[in-house]
Amino acid sequence: MTSTSSTGGYKTEKSWKYWLPKDISILMVLLGTALIFEILGWFIAGQSFIFNTQRLTIIILQMSIIGIIAIGVTQIIIMAGIDLSSGSILAFTGMVAASLAQTSDFTRAVYPALTDMPILVPIFAGILMGFVLGGVNGGLIAYSGIPPFIATLGMLVAARGLARWYTSGSQVSFFIDDYAILGSGIIPVIIFLTTAMAFHFLLRYTRYGRYTYAIGSNEQAARVAGINIRAHKVLVYTLAGGLYGLAAVVETSRTLTAQSGAGMLYELDAIAAVVIGGTSLMGGKGRITGTIIGVCILGVITSGFTFLGIGSFYTNIVKGIIIVAAVVTDQYRNNNNGNR
Amino acid sequence: MFKRENLPAEASIFAVFVGIAILFEVLGWVFVGKSFLGNIQRLEIIILQVSIFGIIAVGVTQVIITSGIDLSGGAVLALSAMVAASFAQSVDAFAPIFPQFLGLPIIIPIAIGLAVGASCGWINGSITAYTGIPPFIATLGMLVTARAVAVIYTEGQPVYSLSESFTVIGSGAWPVLVFFVVAMIFHLILKHTVYGKHTYAIGSNEKAARVAGINVRRHKIMVYTIAGSLSGLAGVVMCARATIAQSGMGTMYELDAISAVVIGGTSLFGGRGRISGTVIGVCILGVITSGFTFLRIDFYYQEIVKGMIIVGAVMLDQRRQAKQRSRA
Repeated sequence: MTSTSSTGGYKTEKSWKYWLPKDISILMVLLGTALIFEILGWFIAGQSFIFNTQRLTIIILQMSIIGIIAIGVTQIIIMAGIDLSSGSILAFTGMVAASLAQTSDFTRAVYPALTDMPILVPIFAGILMGFVLGGVNGGLIAYSGIPPFIATLGMLVAARGLARWYTSGSQVSFFIDDYAILGSGIIPVIIFLTTAMAFHFLLRYTRYGRYTYAIGSNEQAARVAGINIRAHKVLVYTLAGGLYGLAAVVETSRTLTAQSGAGMLYELDAIAAVVIGGTSLMGGKGRITGTIIGVCILGVITSGFTFLGIGSFYTNIVKGIIIVAAVVTDQYRNNNNGNR
Repeated sequence: MFKRENLPAEASIFAVFVGIAILFEVLGWVFVGKSFLGNIQRLEIIILQVSIFGIIAVGVTQVIITSGIDLSGGAVLALSAMVAASFAQSVDAFAPIFPQFLGLPIIIPIAIGLAVGASCGWINGSITAYTGIPPFIATLGMLVTARAVAVIYTEGQPVYSLSESFTVIGSGAWPVLVFFVVAMIFHLILKHTVYGKHTYAIGSNEKAARVAGINVRRHKIMVYTIAGSLSGLAGVVMCARATIAQSGMGTMYELDAISAVVIGGTSLFGGRGRISGTVIGVCILGVITSGFTFLRIDFYYQEIVKGMIIVGAVMLDQRRQAKQRSRA
């Protein structure tokens, strides 16, 4: 058996490709996709796709929320798990955070006694609630041994139900002025990139990261090596939950309203971004930097389709095909490595 | 003293079913002051509601026995319903989809619905069998894609004014009949044919099944294709019952179907499970949904409870398996 390391450096003969950054091929895909839309743009719409600052800003803003979620999902998938509940958790944590961010000028607040609170309270409440739901996911998976996609499928349904139950289906709005700052201007992008950077370093240079890769490549071996698998799984799912909570805070402050239907199918976008970014669904391999590029590719495709005036439902079809195709590519890549 | 081994395998699930029904009956007398079970109309509604996702569950049972999963049931249902309905419009339909295909004999829309479902299932099966990607990713892709195609098919418009001969399939006790006939057929097929033996063999140990000479890939494709065509059949029955086809039909039915299968004692790890258990699982879900409405508990709670039921049922299965392993 070949001993695989997280960086995949098991080739003895190092070709020139080895010295390139690992994510160069995905980056080429991103540039290619953007280029295709640029050319199509000149032919069909008669204007440039890329050289439109407003469009670029919108792409980046749209994708930061998916991006924050995808950072959590990346770590879970590296650990050979999966999380289908991110969209629902975003909806519920968004409701909770929003209900604590209302202004006293609004007479029908969810908690009339808890209005006009400092901005940190809703932020922490949202992230904390994300920790709790993520912890439930992790606890179920680690201690009962049920497949992650069943546990998180259960959470997908249950958290969406919780979000509806929380205010009996009505939306939460009328926030304090400070709260809106989080979603305004370039702040969502900064939050996304900061979180991405933090977790990139965590995964690469800390014990937390080593354990995550170790569990994903060979859980049995990791257990024998003395890693507390259960505790680590709970930790990773909990952190991911917290990231969904953070994404929810950013989303609600950007849209200035929290709805129980928010984040519908975000889990798919996040998984797609992670898989496009080169993280293997079989676990043990993957990088946050790849996920960032994956998020950008998804953003360019979504925005490009709108730009060319193609309906959003075609985007869904393409998304479905992209997820499957990316996983198939990964499968072939793994097979090739195994043959070598 | 009776021995548990002598009881039919579904006795415990059936006991759960009876227990839940009695629980709602008691709660009904206490809180609403009415009988839950002694209401023929309610029973009819329960049975009708469950037969549609029951048909999907029959297919999903077989997929799960091969240790696969199918998340695309609800979306394939919607797509099949849209396509089937577009060929089932009556002669006097206003703004029909295909003006040249009106008042066709009822067999054509049914066959087309089944064919659409079968093609979706075939794609699911081929991707799973030939690329080796996890089935839940392949069928997740189908979930998104089929739902989107259903919307694009008529640009989001519902398909209505279906011919009367077509809507007959969904009227009265027909859906229930279709469900039970389908369940019976596949129960017999799984128990007594080579198809069934191969399905269980692949689920218990895929490698051993391959070594034993089973064409695993071809068999997997067949199972997914059958599951797809059953979703298609469910779509035909559903749009005939509603006398309209919409792209949003059957949302989350895949979850109901999977829960019914898992509650019915089919193991997500493959190799074990029975259609008869799934039928009882479908009835349990139906009683719970109807009981919640009966007790006037909010719809929001139903979702929370459903999520917990899926996880709970899988956890029980996990325990059962661990116990068996330690006994062996």
